Amino acid sequence: MSAARPGLLCAALLLSACSGEQSVLAPAGRDAEVLATLFWWMLGGAVVLWLLMNGLFFYVTRIRPQALSPRAAEALIIGGGIVFPTVVLAALLSFALSEMPKQREPGENLTVRITGESWWWRVDYLPEGSDTPIASANELRLPTGQRSELKLNASEVIHSFWIPALGGKTDMIPGRETRMSLEPTVPGDYRGQCAEFCGESHALMALAGVVMTPGDFAAWLEKEAAPAAIPTSAEALRGLAVFNAEGCGGCHAVRGTEAAGTVGPDLTHLGGRVTLAAGILPMERDALIRWIRDPEALKPGARMPGYDHLSDAELSALATYLEGLE
Amino acid sequence: MTDFADTFPPRGTRSNAEPADPQPQGIYPPTEEMLNEPVDPAIARAQENRLRAVWQQPQGWRYWSAVNNSEVGAWYSLTAFAFMLAAGVLALLMRVQLAVPDNDFISADRFNQFFTMHGSAMMFLFAVPMFEAISILLLPAFLGARDMPFPRLSAYGYWSFLIGGIFVLGSVLFDVAPNSGWFMYPPLATEAEGPGSDIWLLGLSFIEVASIAAAVELIVGVIKCRPPGMRINLMPLYAWYVLVVGGMILFAFPPLIAGDFLFEMQRSFDWPFFDPERGGDPMLWQHLFWIFGHPEVYIIFLPSIAIAAMVVPTAARRPITGYSWIVLSAVGTGFLSFGLWVHHMFTTGLPSLSLGFFSAASEAVVIPTGVQLFAFVATLMVGRVKMILPMLWIAGALAIFTAGGLTGIMVAVAPFDWQVHDTYFIVAHLHYTLFGGMIFPIIGGVYYFYPFITKKKMSDRLGRWAFWLMFTGFNLCFLPMHVTGLQGMPRRVFTYPEELGWNALNMVSTIGAFVTAAGVLVFAWDLLRPKSRQPLTERNPWGGGTLEWAHDVPDPGWGARSVPYITSRYPLWDEPELVGRMDAGRFYIPDAPEGKRETIVTSAVDAVPQHVARVTGPAWCTIVAAVFTGGAFIFPTFHWYPPAIVCGVLAIATVLYWLWTSTAQIPEAPMKDAGLGLRLPTYVSGAKAPGWWAVFITMLGDSTAFASLVFGVFFYWTARPDFPPEGADHANLALAALAAALIAASWGATRIARSQNRRGNVARTRILLAAAPVLALASATSLVGAVWLPDMDPVSHVYPAMMWALVVWFCAHTLLGVIMQGYCLAGSVFGKLTPRYDADLWNTALFWHFKLVMGLVGIAVIALLPRML
Amino acid sequence: MLGHRHSSLWHMILAPTVWAVHFCVVYGWTAVQCARAGGPDAARTGVLIATAVALMAIVVLGWKAWRQWDYLDDFDYVHDQPTTEHRREFLGHAGWLLAIVSAIGVGFNALPAVFIRSCL
Repeated sequence: MSAARPGLLCAALLLSACSGEQSVLAPAGRDAEVLATLFWWMLGGAVVLWLLMNGLFFYVTRIRPQALSPRAAEALIIGGGIVFPTVVLAALLSFALSEMPKQREPGENLTVRITGESWWWRVDYLPEGSDTPIASANELRLPTGQRSELKLNASEVIHSFWIPALGGKTDMIPGRETRMSLEPTVPGDYRGQCAEFCGESHALMALAGVVMTPGDFAAWLEKEAAPAAIPTSAEALRGLAVFNAEGCGGCHAVRGTEAAGTVGPDLTHLGGRVTLAAGILPMERDALIRWIRDPEALKPGARMPGYDHLSDAELSALATYLEGLE
Repeated sequence: MTDFADTFPPRGTRSNAEPADPQPQGIYPPTEEMLNEPVDPAIARAQENRLRAVWQQPQGWRYWSAVNNSEVGAWYSLTAFAFMLAAGVLALLMRVQLAVPDNDFISADRFNQFFTMHGSAMMFLFAVPMFEAISILLLPAFLGARDMPFPRLSAYGYWSFLIGGIFVLGSVLFDVAPNSGWFMYPPLATEAEGPGSDIWLLGLSFIEVASIAAAVELIVGVIKCRPPGMRINLMPLYAWYVLVVGGMILFAFPPLIAGDFLFEMQRSFDWPFFDPERGGDPMLWQHLFWIFGHPEVYIIFLPSIAIAAMVVPTAARRPITGYSWIVLSAVGTGFLSFGLWVHHMFTTGLPSLSLGFFSAASEAVVIPTGVQLFAFVATLMVGRVKMILPMLWIAGALAIFTAGGLTGIMVAVAPFDWQVHDTYFIVAHLHYTLFGGMIFPIIGGVYYFYPFITKKKMSDRLGRWAFWLMFTGFNLCFLPMHVTGLQGMPRRVFTYPEELGWNALNMVSTIGAFVTAAGVLVFAWDLLRPKSRQPLTERNPWGGGTLEWAHDVPDPGWGARSVPYITSRYPLWDEPELVGRMDAGRFYIPDAPEGKRETIVTSAVDAVPQHVARVTGPAWCTIVAAVFTGGAFIFPTFHWYPPAIVCGVLAIATVLYWLWTSTAQIPEAPMKDAGLGLRLPTYVSGAKAPGWWAVFITMLGDSTAFASLVFGVFFYWTARPDFPPEGADHANLALAALAAALIAASWGATRIARSQNRRGNVARTRILLAAAPVLALASATSLVGAVWLPDMDPVSHVYPAMMWALVVWFCAHTLLGVIMQGYCLAGSVFGKLTPRYDADLWNTALFWHFKLVMGLVGIAVIALLPRML
Repeated sequence: MLGHRHSSLWHMILAPTVWAVHFCVVYGWTAVQCARAGGPDAARTGVLIATAVALMAIVVLGWKAWRQWDYLDDFDYVHDQPTTEHRREFLGHAGWLLAIVSAIGVGFNALPAVFIRSCL
């Protein structure tokens, strides 16, 4: 598919850009590419058919042709209503059916278990041959050049996992394990978002999708598997003290420290992530402080309590410590 | 010449020894000489006066006790329209919230309430009721009938709808509306706090019951209330669609009612149907919801197309081309639409093979839909088109609907749906199908039928304004949403961040929404503005060919002055003398000498006259019954069970009073002169009676709900490895067998009572009818014991819960059957039911046939099946 | 219950009923094979057998409907006269058309078993 045609059509649809990090039409994975191409073909066909049908209607109602014989009209019903759609739909259906197993092929080498929580994502990497999962959250990193397997689950309510640039979505259902596989092709940052309504802050449950070259990915995974960085600066150490004093470890885990909670997201390499609070804030110091002070204001119904009783200095120190967990 | 063959369904089910009903006598069909014979004007005037008195609406505040189809239909339509406006306001508020990114115009929770209520109200309080409302209003006129077969049932349905609708929609004002989406997926909706979910479940179940009642009535109306001579191949297309849609409602709504039942048992009593911790599965709800939810789309679409099928021939000034093709398309769509439900669940991780079946059926359903549209185009091609205003709306509908249909073909491709499912692409798609497939044709229909309903015309100029505002506004609002969705914006989000490129698209959509709303307002003004100074229209302002345009201006209230003998699809075009003869009272039942409201009942396929049916007149008991039924559904929302039970008992008592005082009344004479030399029975029982058909059709729907519960058992078995759990206690086999034997005995007693009564053995009939309820109650007790004794705790696991659910179903039906047996016994004792006038007993026996089958299957599923799994 | 086929609505909808039964059978069969036993090959074989049976049934019903329509006697496809013959031919015509659509529907429903070889 050449770039020109989609570009033209986009312009026709008064569209600022087909690109965008969460767009179906800016694919960066094998499945999404096929589906984007399929879409443009279907759109072309649909536009032609729409014009034919409505043009015909306009012609017979407004231009007033010679009245047609009933037999010719009957032929129109047979041709337009039965024969043509049967052929076209059979072809489209055959393509769709043959594509479906390709997009659902089992992944190799890497399995990632993703669990939908309210309203964030628990992400555990299970590389081939490793026995302990590498825990992370709210960010999915995948290598190019291979099909990776995703195992999906949910803790309380139904969610749906979706990174449009890489491929279709699959629901995450409590009590069931669903699966899908993705084959990214272009390294870069993409955005995903929960697609099944999951309660009050459904709109605020996004996910960073990061596609890396196989080499970069292997290096990153190795780092991700390692325990947390030990704080060195005095500010960061003060932050660690606040972290412990406030009992953050009751809910959050920071591997290599005594914090081993599993209720909330794993924070071991929090500072190394692209976004904060499930894709709704940039990974910045100010954002961290705002979030810790009052999560409810940023994400209605969020389970994490607010820490507005902490002083600015304490919050600042805490943010320094967390930012340092790269 | 006289041909009284009734072949659908056949006779021969009753034994030879039973005395048969009286048969029609005289001449049928009428000869041309008989039709040409003039009617004495003095007699005609006297007849008119009597008819007018009988069909007069109650005056003053008593007006609200009216049950006539023209009144109830009008209230029904206006109420549905009002609910639509309310749901539209919610949509506008949501569009304001989404106009700009990171907006805080309304809170997340309120937004969630709004979109839940927008969808629920548009579907349950507008789209389906609107079909029923319009059909109640128009169908009798299409069929030259005086009224619907069961006017009080329509009124009861309307009042239930009004109470339920206000209750459900009103919850928004108190900030307690359901907020889990109109699809109510568990566990989100089962775990939701506050009464919102219960309001949805109970309030809408109440309305669904009313919907099914209306469907039953409409089906019976089409099958049994056609004018003499209107064979099945001459029926107006609208009647075909009503038949198909009525049938679809019967098979689509009950699974949802079964789902609601399971859902409410979990909400109220913690039976874990959808709780995976205790063996339940949230997916069962999705199946049951969408087995309802997808046919629902076609239940909405087909009646609107039916309106187009009435308008198009008038505009083309010739009969529809491809009548058989349209029947094919209506029936075919009706069937295929039941094979689509999983396309709402393409992303739930079902095996590709399973998805493939639904993808295939979703594509196949395009074929009958396309045939439908091509038949319209072909008709217009063959005719000489006059572009009347209603046709403009139909043209707009076609433009919008074909776009929606084409995106429908796209999303039926399962892998493509994985991308766009639950995005604004779907929002755009579904609104294109619903505006094109429902809103536009309906408004076109309102412009077309308004002169029929009020004898005044709506404004052409305002109609054009409304059209162009709505058409542009709609496209401005929803066309960009395709792109918004492809750009990755999910549905049901209360806000979105700035940097994703959705800002301009959303702003355009919001502007479009308000332009659409302006168009709706213009239409609403045109519809409701006072028109008392406007002159009355002529009788057939559009030059239509079907019977509704034979109604007189001003409307005398009786529908058809006399019920005509029909020989053509477009009688007003093909038989120039027809209207004159109808007016003169030349045709059937031109008089009401007994002062009773009557309509003529004909055979199902060939419309041979069979019976003059008495239809019910104004009553308050329908409103009282609706209020108590409402109480029985609404109090449990707040877990106030004692008043709910009291209301339920009072509702049943009111309905019994209503039935006792106005249905199956013993007539003054067994036969009456129906006009044109034909004498017809005034009382029939069994398969010729509309009431029997109503029971038959209702029980088909009821069996569907039961089948849904059985499907639930099989579903758990395939979906859960622990169903039934290893070593679980099963129901007691001996007690279950006893229950089966007793229920069969109760059925046998009822069935034998029917024939004994016919043979005149009144004493034996009464003994049997007294024994039958005892046997039935013993059966229910025994079955409760069968699950009680092994201590199957329904809270512990879904397996005992499911078995208990079947037992509850069994007991509820047993109670209903016992009430019916008791009603017949009372009828026999107090002289309402005699060997000759025995319709109630026929209907009760018919109920018990279904009850027996469901009971035995239910007992097998409870006691035998789990031991085999 | 069904009545005589010339005057029965039930006969008219037999072909789509075959479609509906076929649909339920292939869906139920596949669900059980993929979830409990058998696996994809058993599922696919069953679907193809069910399809062959359903298509044969539809062909028989379609043929009967075609005979009832009796198109070749008068080439009538409008059936708008108030006679028993027109009513009979109308029901035959509609039944025949429904048989065609049902056959297409059944054929479409067999395609997944042709293209998809796994239960994933």
